[in-house]
Parts: sequence; structure tokens; C-alpha cells
Amino acid sequence: MNLLGYIARRLLLLGPMLVGITLFSFLLSHAVPADPVTANLGEQAAADPEAVAAFRQAWGLDRPLHQQYLIYLWNLARGDFGTSISTKQAVVLDLRQRFPATVEVAIVAMAISLIVGVPLGILSAVKRDSLVDQVTRVLSLVGVSVPVFWLGLVALLVFYARLGWAPSPGRLSAGIIPPTFVTGFLLIDSLREWRMDAAVDALQHLALPAFVLSSYTLGMITRITRGSLLETLGEDYVRTARAKGAPNLTVIVRHAARNGLIPVVTMVGLSFGRLLSGAVVTESVFAWPGLGLYAFRSATSLDFPAIMGVGIVIATIYILVNLLVDIAYGLLDPRIRVG
Amino acid sequence: MRISVSSSFPILRGLGRWAVLAAGLMAAATSIVASSPSPALAGAAPGTTLVVGSSFIIRSIDPGRTVETTSNMINHATYDSLVTFEGEDLKTAKPSLAAEWKISEDGRTYTFKLRPNVKFPSGNPLTSADFKWSFERVKNLKSNPAFYLDPVQEIQTPDPLTLVLKLNAPNPALLAILSSPSLGAIDSKLVAQKGGVSGPEAKSSDKAESFLNNQSAGTGAFILSSYVPEQEVVLVRNPNHWRAAPAVDRIVIRNITEPATQKLQIQRGDIDIATALGQDQLASLRNVPNVSTRSSPAATTFYVLMNNNPDVGHAFSNPKVQEAVRYALDYDGILTIAGTGASRLAGVIPTGFPGALDPRTAFKTDREKSKALLKEAGLGDVKGQITYGSDQVIWGVQMAVLAQKIQADLAAVGIQLSLNGLPRATALQSYRDAKNQVGVWSWAADFPDGSNFFVYIPGRTVGKRAGWPEDASPAAKELAELARKAESEVDDAKRAALMQRIDKRIVEVGPYAPLFQPAVPVAFRSNVKGVTFHSVWGLDFYSISK
Repeated sequence: MNLLGYIARRLLLLGPMLVGITLFSFLLSHAVPADPVTANLGEQAAADPEAVAAFRQAWGLDRPLHQQYLIYLWNLARGDFGTSISTKQAVVLDLRQRFPATVEVAIVAMAISLIVGVPLGILSAVKRDSLVDQVTRVLSLVGVSVPVFWLGLVALLVFYARLGWAPSPGRLSAGIIPPTFVTGFLLIDSLREWRMDAAVDALQHLALPAFVLSSYTLGMITRITRGSLLETLGEDYVRTARAKGAPNLTVIVRHAARNGLIPVVTMVGLSFGRLLSGAVVTESVFAWPGLGLYAFRSATSLDFPAIMGVGIVIATIYILVNLLVDIAYGLLDPRIRVG
Repeated sequence: MRISVSSSFPILRGLGRWAVLAAGLMAAATSIVASSPSPALAGAAPGTTLVVGSSFIIRSIDPGRTVETTSNMINHATYDSLVTFEGEDLKTAKPSLAAEWKISEDGRTYTFKLRPNVKFPSGNPLTSADFKWSFERVKNLKSNPAFYLDPVQEIQTPDPLTLVLKLNAPNPALLAILSSPSLGAIDSKLVAQKGGVSGPEAKSSDKAESFLNNQSAGTGAFILSSYVPEQEVVLVRNPNHWRAAPAVDRIVIRNITEPATQKLQIQRGDIDIATALGQDQLASLRNVPNVSTRSSPAATTFYVLMNNNPDVGHAFSNPKVQEAVRYALDYDGILTIAGTGASRLAGVIPTGFPGALDPRTAFKTDREKSKALLKEAGLGDVKGQITYGSDQVIWGVQMAVLAQKIQADLAAVGIQLSLNGLPRATALQSYRDAKNQVGVWSWAADFPDGSNFFVYIPGRTVGKRAGWPEDASPAAKELAELARKAESEVDDAKRAALMQRIDKRIVEVGPYAPLFQPAVPVAFRSNVKGVTFHSVWGLDFYSISK
């Protein structure tokens, strides 16, 4: 079938793209005018040639650059992402521990953006220039323009420190013993063991960071839904639908929204990458032990295996999400056929 | 210098109407799921738990591989060294696993009598062989703490409770060095089974790091229960500990990198001690009910480096310009940036160490004199670039703010500096490669002794970075000679006098402007007692109660 062939081709392309990404991140991280020795050895050890040599040898940094890269690729082909210089754990294990934390927030943030953003955008378009529209437009503009780090701290100050509605930063309260690590998603792992205390606690901890992280996407989706819907509401087929006496709601949902939502689907694909990368700041503010903090720490300490691991994971997700988006186009708009 | 940095985002100030808008945006949604902070529900651990907020600087918690701030704090709780220092003291070594010791007349032989009946958590008894094994491992791993044992030539174990260290040359700093958490006794039988190697081949064949990152093997008051990198370290009480049991049963050290978040958490009582605050946050916590604050002097010097090598330093390699810079700086203003508890430095050795100069004798701002010196130098317009870690925050002091202040102060006498703020690793690289024309940096003591700061001597670590080799001038040569003499002087009074002479001379002729000695900002809930912050290992969990 056409669609399956298309998916297979896109997945096959994933391989070369990932190699390209590893090469790019490898070259970029080596172009930084600093030596991993500087970032990882203390002052005294860095001044000791023997200690420096031992460090370089231990991490394979004494080999020529192209050899280092080829060794990395060879190991990668066998599923070995290497060992992180900072955590001394297998990068796969590091990613496995942190990835669910980030995806958890990103998924909830995306869900909030869609559940709140799409209806708000539709409402705003239908009630154009009303008070609801004005307020929505201002709020979505704020969402798009407010820096996440600032919003995060304000949210903590208001909802955690002042009002006491939100729990402390982190994924769980200090008194809660985490459920056994199976999926890494605290909510799922807690429910697996029927640990309602942990599940509720995890959900409460998730709320605020997810809202803060969603601010940009929420604002963007609201604005795009509104704009796109305003356009479709003026189309001939909408007028036709109204003329044939279709109820208002049917016209908006079945006729206008279905077509008006296509740009929103594109936005979802693009935003997901942004949610993952925007997590760096949110995770710092909310002491959230995810991929963002890991990426930031890896980059600042020139932890090459970790940097490459994060790059590969984020790129793969980005590519996969965009593939899903392309497939969704076809389902939403029969005029677009993939393949 | 230990790596004692954390990165931070700027601190928010002034909320105003934006807060109302943001609050409106989220209020409705948040209330859907978040009701109130959940109390400790089922599954909570029994006993007293102390929750500590930290900004992790951990490369490893294997004592043989680490000297970083956070790992020192953990290892001080889980391992015991031969000697220790109480509270925040930097002067008097006290017995720890060594009950007593004797130093030979020539200062080259140290004989330690170990405390009897001390057991590791595994049940193995502590013997001098454990110390010998641990020290040899540190030396042969060739990792961060290896330099500690440079003065030690030979380790002997005449009997299970006697340890003899023979030195290459007399070294009065040895006891201070031996207090390092990196030189704690490791359960050698257990760790050797887990891949630990102490011989000369250790650097390539030792495989015990991952074991020691998950389980401690020392005699300390606490045992490492879990370590999740970048997230959390949990310590539990060691039932086999040789002293009376500590007051808390469990310690949870959480990585909270954002200082503003730590501040909110200590305010709410979700953490008991906050150790990674900014200086401005400490000030705002002072009037919060149920929160106590503390500024503990750190054995660290902040200083301006001016490259003495004319190819790099250009005008700044001129001694007259260097002196002009020292007179141009507004030290009172700089102290405000350094925060409460920080003090002026007359030399490069922090106060608290024998040999440190009286802060009252420090340089005083004199802009007229500075301008006159610049005129004397006759170099016309003096221009340059100051390099610093733009994301670096050391003991709550933001290096970027400090660099801007220096820029403004020098502009007042007509010296034009452009700011060259770089990410930490990049800035550090340029500093270590001696490529900073002007830079603002700090040096932290690795052990409680003033000789740590001999790094500023011509030809030594910082001296080289400042383009100041031993043969730079007769004055430089003389300083290097004096330092060697002080290092092996066994008479305390003579040694202190020599160190004072050196310190004074460094600021007269050296390419530096000492700025201040910082104080570590610590906040804790008022029901927590016994909080001290030692310059080398930070909190001493054994003396803390709740």
C-alpha cells in the first residue's frame, strides 16, 4: 500500500539522517575552544601531565578525531552509546532514566495546549472582536512572548510559595518512596503497583511545570487556530453549508474546523521538538531531573558521549513526530496524499 | 582549586502586573489537579530525615577520583580520614581515625596510632593496611586527588594499628592534607573484591568506581544508600559507626540547580538546609520566619589577573599599570557584590590561615594615584579585554556582575576594558592556557592550609597562567625561593612569618589585584541545629540535629 511504503521509506531515511546528526554534533562539540580535560579535571590534576594522559586514555581522547568518531559509530551500530564522562553510567541508562521525565511533561504540556488552545482559538474566531476574542488574543500573545524561565519562577512563587496549591519542585515529594522503575513514567509505574499516593503526588508535581512549559505552544496553537479558522469561515463551502441550513455548531466543527486545523497539526509537530528543548529551562526551575538538564550539563562539561546520545534521541523523536504529522495530514485532508 | 561552580539564570525581581496576568493564565488550570501539597503519605521512611538542597558538583563519589564540593560533603559523611577539623576551623587538626600521632624532629616521618575496634559496615575491622591500600590507590589512579599524596614517599604498616608516612621533604601542611575526604580509609578487602586496584596499574585496571558510586565503603557516620546522578543522593545512618550515633537517620541531598527555587523551598519548609543560594537571596531570607541564615567564610580568594607576558597582557604587563589597577578598584563596592560575611584581602592568603595579612592593610582606592601611575607608565590610552565565566556563580557571587564592576571602576581612571564573558569551560581553557589578558577568577583551598595559595608564586599554577615565570625578574626568582623555604619550614612561627612576607611581596610585585574572601550563603530551618559550613567539605552531617 502506498501509505505503508511511504512510512517505510521515511523510516529508512532515519538511518542516514541520524548518522548526519551524530557527525554534526560530533564536529560541533569538538569545535568548542575548550578541552574536556579542562571541563572534567580539577585544577591540580589538569596541571599534572600524567593525570591528563590517564584521562585522555580512559576516554579515548588520545586518538585522532576521525578515529574517535568511527569508533563511536561502530559502537553505536551495536547499540552501545558509550559511557558518560560525568555520570560514569552507560549513556543508554542515563537517557532511559531521564527521558520519561521529560516526555511526561512534554506530553502533558502538549495535551494542555491542544485541549485548551484549540477550543479557545475556535471560540475566539467565531466570536471575532468580542471581549472573549480580545482577552484570548492578549493571553495567547503573553504565552508566546513571556520567557519560560520567568514564568516558571512566577508560577512557583504564586502557586507554590504564596498560595500553597502546587507541591514542591521535583517529581515526587520527599516523603514518597518512588515506585519501581519500569517505564520511568511515574504515573504509569505508580498505577502498575496500585500506589495511589505516588500517582496522585506525581500528578500534582506534573501540573505546574507542564503548564509553564505549555505557555508558548498554547499561545501559538490558540493564535493559529483562530487565524486559520477565520480564513475557512469565510470560504464558499462554509457559506454553502450555512445556506443549506446546517446548524451553526455542525458548520463550525464539521466544515470549518476540520480544514482549519491542518496548520495546527503542523504546529504540533514543530512544537514537540520545542517542548523537548524548552525543557532545559523548565527543568532547571522545577528541579526536574529530565533530558533538558542532562543535555545542559553534558554540553557545559563537554561530555561528548552524553551530548551525542541526547542529540540522537531528540532528533529521532523530532523525525518520528513529523512523520506522524505528515500521515495525519492525509487523514484530515483527503486532497493531500502522502507517498 | 576545587570545581565549585554552578550555573544560574538571572534572578527575578519585581513582579508587578505581569504576575497577575501569568497568574490568571494558569490559575484555572492548576486548580484542576493540584489541591494542596501532599503530606508524607504511606511509604515514608521512619526516623528523622534531613533534606538538603544542593547544586550538584559531582564528577564521582569514589574518594580516589574526586575533590569536588558536593562529593567532598558526601564523602566526609561516609568516610573518615586520619585527622579532621571541627566545625569551620582551619587551624587545628583533631584526631579522627588516628587517635594520636607523632612527628619526627626532622619533620619527615609521621607515625599514626589508629583507633582500635573500628569496623567497616561490612564487618571488616579497620587496620593500617586499609589506609595504605587507600592511599596507594589514590596515588596510582592518577585522578583528581592524586596530588595530595605528592609529598608522601613511602607508607609503612609496622602493625595493624600503626601507620607510618615518610615524606620526601618536611611538609607542615601534611595533617591538613590528610583531613581530605578523598584520603579516607576504604574497606580494602571489600573494594578489592569489587575490582579495586591500588598498585601502579590502577589507572587503567581499577574497576571499583561504579561500585563506590552506589555503595560507600568507609567508617563514616553515614552509609551511601543511593546516588542518582544529577538528581539525588541518599545517606543512611551507619549502625557500626565508632562514635555515638548521629542525630539524624537519613539524609536526602537533592540537586536543585536554580537558586531561586531553593529559596522558595527553604521558605516553605520543604528542604531543611539550602546550600546553593545567591548572595541576594540570602539577604531576602534574613527576615523570613522559621528560617535562619549563616555566612561561613570560605578559604577562597577572588582576584583580578593581569597577564605579565607582554605578548598577551600588552599594557597590562606593565607593573605601573598593574599597580594603577590595584588603586583604581572600588573595593567597598566590590564587597557589596560579594555579599554578607565577605572580607577584604590584603594578600592572596585568606584570613584564618597563619601567614595571612591583616585585611586592614589592604589596598585603598585612590583614583588620583592610579591616574598618576598610568601617566608615569606613559603608554597613552590603556585598553584591553577581561575574560570570565559568564555562567559562573561561585559561592553565590556572579562572576559576570563582578566583571562589569571591574570594567566600570577601571573606566573611572581611563582604562577601557571590554567584557569577554564565555561559558565556563571555554573561559577556563583560556585561563589555563595563560591567554587571559585580564581575567577575574577565584582559587579555593583543597585542604586547610595557607600553602594552598602558593599557586600564585611565579612559575606555579596561577603564576604560569598570569604569564609570570620564575625567571621573569629578580623579584620573581626571590619569591619562588622564599616559597620553597616556607614549605619546608617546620617551626610554626617562622613559617607564618615567611608566609606573611611572601604574601606581602606577591601583591607588591605580582600581576594580581586581590579582591575579597567570600562567605558561603547557607539558609536552614530554625529547628535544625549544628549547621556549620567548612571550606573544604561543607556541611558536617554528623553534628546536625533536627
